[in-house]
Order: sequence, then C-alpha cells, then structure tokens
Amino acid sequence: MTLFLQLLVEGLVIGSIYSLVALGYTMVYGIIELINFAHGDIFMMGTLVSLFMVTNVFHLTDVSKMSLGGMLVMLVVTCLASIVICALLGVLIERIAYRPLRNAPRLAPLISAIGVSLALEDIAKAIIGPNPVAAPYLVPLVHYSIGSVDITNTDIIVLVVALVLMVGLQWLVTSTRIGRAMRAVAQDREAAALMGVNVDRVIAITFLIGAGIAGAGGFVFLLSTNNTVFNIGFELGLFAFTAAVLGGIGNLVGAMLGGLVIGLIRALVTYIPDRDLPFGLPHGGVAWQDAVVFAILILILVFRPTGLLGQQLAEKV
Amino acid sequence: MNEVMLQLEHVDTFYGPIQVLHDINLEVRRGEIVCLLGANAAGKTTTMKTIFGLVRPRRGRIIFDGQRIDNRPASDIVRLGLALVPEARRIFPRMTVLENLQMGAYTRTNKAEIEQDLDHVCQIFPRIKERLKQIAGTLSGGEQQMLAMARALMSRPRMMCMDEPSMGLSPLLVETVFETIVRIRSEGVTIFLVEQNASMALSLADRGYVLQTGKIVLSDTAANLLENDLVRQAYLGGS
Amino acid sequence: MAMLVPSQILPQTGETRRLLLKWVIAFLVPVLVFTLVWSGEAILNAALLAIFFPGSFSIAAIAAGLFMLLFYGIITGLTGYLVAADSGRQSLLDLWISMFFFTVVPILLIYITANLFVGLAASVVVWAFYYYGRRLVRRFRPPAPLPPLPSLKVLDAEMRATLLTRARLGSFWFALSFSLIWLLVDLLFYFTGQYGQASLVFLVWILLRSVLLPVAGWLLGSLGGLVAIRHAVPANGNGSNGDRAGAPVSTRRLRLLSATRAREEARDLVPNDLPLRSTGARNFYLLLLLALLVFYPMIDPFLFGPGTDSRLDNYGNAGYYVILALGLNIVVGFAGLLDLGYVAFFVIGAYTWAMVGSPQLTVLTGIHINPDIWPWLFWPMLIVAALIAALWGVLLGAPTLRLRGDYLAIVTLGFGEIIPIVVQNLDKYTNGTNGLTGIYSPAFFGVHWNVSTSEPYYYLILVLIAIVLLANLRLRDSRIGRAWIAMREDEIAAAASGINLTRTKLLAFAAGAFFSGIAGAYYAAKLSTVTSGNFSFSDSVIYLAMVVLGGLGSIPGVVVGALAVYAVNVLVLPQLDALGNDPSSIIYPIYTHILQVIPNFSFSNIRNLIFGIILVVLMIFRPEGLIPSTRRRHELHHTEAEGVEITSLDTPPGAPGFESEMRVE
Repeated sequence: MTLFLQLLVEGLVIGSIYSLVALGYTMVYGIIELINFAHGDIFMMGTLVSLFMVTNVFHLTDVSKMSLGGMLVMLVVTCLASIVICALLGVLIERIAYRPLRNAPRLAPLISAIGVSLALEDIAKAIIGPNPVAAPYLVPLVHYSIGSVDITNTDIIVLVVALVLMVGLQWLVTSTRIGRAMRAVAQDREAAALMGVNVDRVIAITFLIGAGIAGAGGFVFLLSTNNTVFNIGFELGLFAFTAAVLGGIGNLVGAMLGGLVIGLIRALVTYIPDRDLPFGLPHGGVAWQDAVVFAILILILVFRPTGLLGQQLAEKV
Repeated sequence: MNEVMLQLEHVDTFYGPIQVLHDINLEVRRGEIVCLLGANAAGKTTTMKTIFGLVRPRRGRIIFDGQRIDNRPASDIVRLGLALVPEARRIFPRMTVLENLQMGAYTRTNKAEIEQDLDHVCQIFPRIKERLKQIAGTLSGGEQQMLAMARALMSRPRMMCMDEPSMGLSPLLVETVFETIVRIRSEGVTIFLVEQNASMALSLADRGYVLQTGKIVLSDTAANLLENDLVRQAYLGGS
Repeated sequence: MAMLVPSQILPQTGETRRLLLKWVIAFLVPVLVFTLVWSGEAILNAALLAIFFPGSFSIAAIAAGLFMLLFYGIITGLTGYLVAADSGRQSLLDLWISMFFFTVVPILLIYITANLFVGLAASVVVWAFYYYGRRLVRRFRPPAPLPPLPSLKVLDAEMRATLLTRARLGSFWFALSFSLIWLLVDLLFYFTGQYGQASLVFLVWILLRSVLLPVAGWLLGSLGGLVAIRHAVPANGNGSNGDRAGAPVSTRRLRLLSATRAREEARDLVPNDLPLRSTGARNFYLLLLLALLVFYPMIDPFLFGPGTDSRLDNYGNAGYYVILALGLNIVVGFAGLLDLGYVAFFVIGAYTWAMVGSPQLTVLTGIHINPDIWPWLFWPMLIVAALIAALWGVLLGAPTLRLRGDYLAIVTLGFGEIIPIVVQNLDKYTNGTNGLTGIYSPAFFGVHWNVSTSEPYYYLILVLIAIVLLANLRLRDSRIGRAWIAMREDEIAAAASGINLTRTKLLAFAAGAFFSGIAGAYYAAKLSTVTSGNFSFSDSVIYLAMVVLGGLGSIPGVVVGALAVYAVNVLVLPQLDALGNDPSSIIYPIYTHILQVIPNFSFSNIRNLIFGIILVVLMIFRPEGLIPSTRRRHELHHTEAEGVEITSLDTPPGAPGFESEMRVE
C-alpha cells in the first residue's frame, strides 16, 4: 500500500508535467486542428534554457551554499526566461512553418511540424551532445513524510506551478477578451474575422501561451529530475499528446486530467513484476512503460477518439 | 442626396482561374437600404466576401466611407464600422449567447458603452434577452438569425451588410427579420442586403441591383424594379 | 464522336535544316562531354584491348565496351526519333539550355564528385535552382503565347516519307559530326603517342569507326523515325483514312484507362507535341537506363576507378530505401494515409528472415537445417516476411480506419514505437538489444554469395526494385489505385461512389507493409545482423522525407527522392565530415570554427536538422515535391490562379489542363 501511494505521488508529479505540455497540444489543435509535433521539442528547449540559465548565468554549483533570496531570484528568473524564450520560439515556429500553410491540404502543416521537430532536436543535439546532461540541484532537496509516503519540496513546487498555470490558463480562456477571441477563432475562423478579430494574431497568441506553458514545464521538469536530453521532447511530447487525446483533444480540463492519468498509469506500470505473461512482463513493467502508454493511446483513439471529456469530433463535411 | 457610404468600382473576383464577378459597380448611400438580387450562384455571397476582404478582388476598387478597403483584412474593415451578418448565420455554436454578443463588440473597449448596447440590443430582440446564458448552438434557426443580427449590431456599425437573412426561415420569421431590418435602419444604420426573396427585399429597400452570372444587369429604384418585367419573371415568379 | 487532342500540324519540309541543327547540337554536346571529358573512350579501348590482346582478356571489359556501343546506338536512334517527332513547340534555345542542365550538368557533377549518387544529388539541387530561375525569368519575360492547337492531323503517305527521311538525316548528321570530332581528337592522341603498344589496332579501329558510325546513324535513324511514325498514327496504321478509322479505336482505348494512363496514351498519339517527353522517347530512355543498370558493375571501374565493391555495396543499401519509398508512397502518396510508423513493418520483415535464417532458429525450435540448403530458404521467406508484414499492416489498419488523417498518423507512430520495444524486451526470441547475428545470405545457382560480396546483392536489389516498381505501376493504374486516389481526394465522395473505404484503406496498408517486409528481409540478409536499436522514429521520418521530397504519389519522384535522401544521409554527410577533418580541404577552417562554438558538431549529427528543414521548405514552397505527379500538383496549386507553369516532367508544356482537353464526346 505504501508503495502504491508512493507511486501515486510520483505519478501525480510527472503527470502534472505531462499536463503542462498537453495543454499546448490541445490549444493548438483546438484552434487550427494541427498536431503540433514540435511542441514537445519546445518543452525540451525549455529544459535547455533552464539548464543554461542556472549553469551559465547563475553559475550554480551547490545550491545549499546559496542564500534563500538568491535562490528564489534564480528560480524565478530561470522560470521566466524559459517561459519567455519558449513562447517566442513557439511564435517563431508558427510564423515560419505553419502560417504559410494555413490553407494547404491537411497533411502539409503536419509534415512541416515533423520537420520543425527534427530540426529542433538536432539543434539541441549539436549543443548538448547526444547523451543526457545532468543539472545541479536547483533547490536543496527536502523530504517530507506524510504518513509513510515520502514527498519532496521539488514535488510540491512542480504541483504548485502546474496548478497555478492551469488555473490561470483556464481563467484566461473562459473569462477574458483574448480567450473569447481564441475560442471564436477555434469555432469559426471566418466569422471571428468578421467580428474584427485579427485571426493571425490570435493564433500567434495561442502558440505564445501554449509554448510559454511548455517552457514552464521544461523548467519544473529540470527542477524535479535534474537532467535533460535532446530527445526528451519527443518522448515526453508523445506522452503529453497521449494525455491530450485521452482527455479529449481541444479540451483544456481534459488535457490536465489526461496528463495526470498518464502519469499515474506510467507510475503504476512499474508495479508489474518481471515474469512471463500473463503474470507479468519480461523485464518488468519499467521496460514496458513507453509501450503501455502508446498502447493506451492507440486504444483510446480506436475505441473513444473523442477522449474522456471531448465533444463529438465529427468529420466536417 | 446623401454621400456615398460604400462604393464598388470595376471589381473582378476570381476563384482560381474562374472569374466569378465581372466588373461590378455599385454604390450604397448613407441611410439607404440597398438590396442585391440574384439567383443561386449569381455571385451574391462572393460580392459580400469581396467587400469584407475574405476573397481578394483581382481588379477594381472598393471604397468605404472615403477609404479604400480592398486588400485590407476583414478585421480592419470591421473596425471601420462595417458589419456583416454572414450567410447561414455563422454564430459561434459552442459559446453562450452573451459571449456571442460580446464577440460582436470585440473591436470596442469602452465597457460602459458595451453594456449600454447590450441592453439596447436586448430591447430590439427580446427573445435574445431570455437566452443570454444558453449555448448558442442550441438556439432555433430564427433565434440564431436574430443573434447574428444582434451580434453585428454590437459593433455599433455605421453600415450593416446582410447575406440572405431570410434563408431557411419560416414566412412568419422572415417578416420579423425584415421588420427588424427597417428598425435598424431607422436608427441610422445604412443597410446593404443580399437576397433571393426579391419581393420582400424590394418592398423595404430604396434601391436595388440585379446580379446575373457575376454581372450587374439592372440597377434602379426598388419601386421600378418591382415593375420591371425581367425581375418579375425571374424573381417574383410570374406574369 | 471526335477525340480532340491537342496537337500541332507537323512542321513544313523547309524546317528540316533547323530541326537538324536543333537536335543534333542538343545531343552532340552532352555525348561529347561524356566521351571526351569522361571515359567512354577508355572503355571502348579497354574492350578492344581485351579482344585483341589475349593477355589482357576480361569479360568485364568486353561487357563494358558492349554497353558503350549500345549507349551510342540508342542515343543515335533517339536523335532520329526526336527530329521526326518534333513539332517546334519547344524553341531551339530553350531545348539547348534544358539539355545542358539535365545532361551535361549531371555528367560533370558525377565526374567531379566521383560518385554516382552524390553527383545526382548535387544535380537535383542544381535542377531545383534552374527551375526556380526559369520561373523567375518567365515571370518577368513571359514566353510568347503558344499557337492554338488544331485537332490531330494523321499522317499521310507523303508526310511519313518526309518524317522518315528527316529521322535518317538527323541520326546521320549526329553520327557524322560526332565521329568526325572524335576522329580528330583520337588522331591527335594517336600522333602524340598516347596509345602506345596497341597503336595499330587502335588506328584501324579509329578509322573504321569513323566510317561505320555515319552508316549506323543512317540505319538507326530509320529505326527512330519508324518509332516516331508508329506513335503518331494511332492503332489502325492506315495513314490514308486514319482520320476516321483511328479515332474510335483510340477513344475506346482512352475510355478504358485511368487518367494517368490516358494522359500517357494521348502523348503517344501526339508525340509531336513534346518530343522529349513522349512515350516513344521514354522507351529509348528506359532502354538506356536498363542497359546502364545491368552493365553497371562492369563499367563502374572504368568510370570511377578502384573501390567498385564498396560503391556497389552503397547501391545495394540505397536499393532498399527505394523499395521502402515505393511502399510508403502507396500508403501516403496514393491513399493519403500518413504513416509515421512505417519502420515497424521493416522491422517485422527483417526479423522474420533474421529468426528463420540464422542459428536463432535452432536455438528457438531445435530444428537443424543443412547449411547448404538453409540459404535457399531466403526466397520463400522473402514472400513470407512480406506477407507477415502485410498481415500486421491489416491488423494495425483495421482498428484505425475510423480515424481522421492526423490521428491515424499518431496511431501509426505509436505502433512504430511499440514494435522495437517489444522486439527489445522479448529477448528470449529476438536476443534483445544484442540483436541477431550470423544471418544467412541468400543462395543462387553459380553465385558465390556472402556478406562481403556486393555484386550479387546489387543484382538482387535490382530485380526486387523492378518487381516492386512494376507492382506499383500496375497498382496505380488499377481499379484499386483509382480508389486510393479518390479516397485521398475526398473520403466521403469516394464512399458515395461505391468505394468500400474499409477494404481500400486496408489494402493500402497491406500493400505498403508488404513492400516494407520485402525490404526488411533483404536488409537482414545483406547486413547479416539486425539489432532492435537500429530502428526508430527518425527512420520512419526519413522514409517520409524521401516520399515527400520526390513528390507524393509520383513513382519516378519517390525513386529519385529515395536515392537523393540516401545520398545525403549516407554519402554526402560523412564525406563532409571527412573533408572537415582533413586539414588540406577547403572547408577545414570553417569546420574548426564551428567546432569551437559547438564542440559536438559533425555533419552526420545534423542530418535530422537538414531533413527537417527540407521538409518545412518543401511544404511551404513546393509541396508537390521535386518530380510531382500531375494530379497532385493540380491539387496543391488549385487555389493559385497562376498561368501555365512548366516545372513538371509529367505534363507537356503548353498544354494547360491537359486532361481537360481530352474530351471524349
């Protein structure tokens, strides 16, 4: 039971990072019906920016020697830098690779997105090399025990940041003028233009926000796992996309929920013992984590393409 | 005579290699109701789309209130005070009625004025008022039409263009729609109306144009058009 | 019941001289460049040496010489054909410029880079710039409008005679001028003593050749002319009243064919409209290409010097890229289903042969097979591997049918990720990350075949490509091919016209997977080892890049795309790295500069960056690919209201909406 609860906490933490990335997928899909393949790589760039900030700007070697104020400044500045740079990257990508294809056949922007994703990964690989890079601890690790469950302060930071961003985004989309414009563009682009909405700008803002949140995700990822690798965006991006689909793509609450569920499932799969089928899996659940997530993705798409909370996604005739 | 509000000069529009509009010339003056008649596929909706920059004309000029508006995006044109009630309504189906109206006022920032206009619109369309919190996609066709008109009014337009407001509505509702149009005009909004329902449109319009296969074949006062043989045969169904 | 086909009245006799000038020079320049700059000369001489001096006897040299004779013969005949088939719709200068870019440039580039693929890849880049430049020029200086097209004029007896004479003259003059220039150069060589010991044989040969070539030109010209005439007169072959009798036959024929084929057939009827691209001319090219491919291992040493084996090895690897591209083209190009997990089927194909054709079989089942017989199992297993892959294609396809395009892409991607994980984790059967080794090469009568011999693999992949290519062509023009295309254009409309979407989609998946399985089995046999780590999403993307680069749905396009991607991936980038590390090369300073900024830099490491940029740039500027299928180009550019754009090898220039003009009334 303790192990189960422990896994639950871990799943929740990683799941909330998935949720942050999933939000970007679901927003972009909602507004221009594009699977933004490059989104996961924007997240990866967020981890790189954060890494760069702490090692090259703040010259962090041992966080326990820093003052509390200095640490807070570092965390906030790093997080903001990651958000801003990723947001700008997202807008840039939209401008270069997607906007010229706004009226092209469906496959064209998707292929373009794959191209951007490949390019970003290789840029990252050229910068940090092909192997995982370790980051120093960003906060002195503190363990708390709730009952028999161990939870760290980084876990709490991740959860809080994720929660704040999600609530903020939900508020932005439902209750502000720009949020209304985004929804209007998503529902009927032409009619939105007729209301005086600058459609291109609203789409750019959508990318800005989605990528910014991914940047924040990159920061908390580095904070909680202390390492990154050039293709983390591809893997994590796929899980996040799975989360978005699981929740019902285009649905913000769904993306959040989906991220948590995927995180939990991944955590629970590690439970599976190393035995032959049907009593376990060869090499144990850890070796199969990714495969299980993809299998779930396929199963959802096959049996409930609208996801848990999605509306009916009827093909437009 | 009042000054010209909207003017199209020698407008040619193409869809790919196919020319849809041929040398369209028309003008709408301040305070008028002008209607553009035409059968299916005559180019009525294309004319509207061309005016609003949703389709770019290849040649010709479009002038609204002294400014050229061809080659400007739709969002800019709307900001100048031109509103469109698009064909088939095009309300935002997954937003509430209130949010739809707020979208109509998207270009404006003065909250007090928007509130004031909201009240005003609710006065014109009492049905809308009852359903402010309802999801717009669940409204009936007539209510959606009202909502589309109300939404257009929310931008405080100086001129309103309507693309077939009577389409798909019952005769009773059509009458309501046209009454509302007259009321909107009486509040100082110039109206340009595209219609298939010629008798109805001509009965309330000041002037009219007849569009056939992308060309303007007739233009006259509404009264004269009602008497015109060609119009009678083609659009009024009879002798 | 008249069949209206755009055509041009055949040129007047007075034009014969202009035509000769046009075509003889157009072909003389590239052939001379090839012969003199390169080694056409040396190959023939080597063949002579092999025949007349027994000490240096070599079958390869004779075969290479044979190829060269064939090469000159085909070109000579082609000249005659083109002179006869010309209609004057392409201007003299235009032809010369495009011949320069399409023949002389690749010859020189291949010579400079000393590698067939690298040279061709570089040529593709040059071609792209050429097209771009030409379009720019045309935008500012639009070509003169083409004359209106009268209806097809069928040849009368007099015209046939004129054409035949013209063709003979064309080939004759080509052969004569060629042999004279060659003679001059050879005499120069001869008298400066370049030919050494065998000089007398060579002198005789040079003189004999100079006489024989024009004679051969005359004969081959007749042949070319006959081909042109045969293509000009449809079906009935009776010139005098062909106008009436020919039309219904061709009308019937055209009705039965798919649009793509109909266009080709129509080109047959009107070879004069665009001689270089007519089917008649294409037959010459095909013959040439076929001869080149078959003789290639023999002439390679003459062309590029030592290292033939490693080059053939490269081509053997490039071959399975071609098969993969052709297979993926069915799924993505024809049926419009984006498959991002194509590598999965390749893995399945590879592991099928790897598990049956290696000692792993004994480990797993305890079966012992005589090592003499074992390699023979490759042939049935090739089919089995393809079938198993196809089965998986169906299994994967079946549940995903309801999904729209981009969801489908994700499902296939997920599948492509799962398969390597499964292979890796089921190490009891697959030996996991260590992979399977000692996989048998195929066996064949009289062929010494093992991992280090590349020639048999070269021929094997040639045959496989030929089969896959034919299957592709047949599929495209079949009922099911039309159904795929209809489905790609509009699923709902396709379903409404009676196409069974389920069956059609599954067939696309199965066909694509089938070819991928073939490529996989070949791969396992050639490498003799497979490892699960070798297959990843980036491979799937590279296959996609091949198809997109070449042109979705265009068979010649994807073949070129596969070769180009292979060249960049395997040849160009490592070569750049080698150059960068070589202190004497030009790029060494730049390379070291980059290394100072980015310590991990190497060109091979940024291949995904390059492919990524290629994908984006292509999607934005040329979504139809390098060699698009006509249909696809129309589809992608239908919103643009531009005039006739001559960028495709597939549509006759000057024929806007060619298909729309083929009215069957």
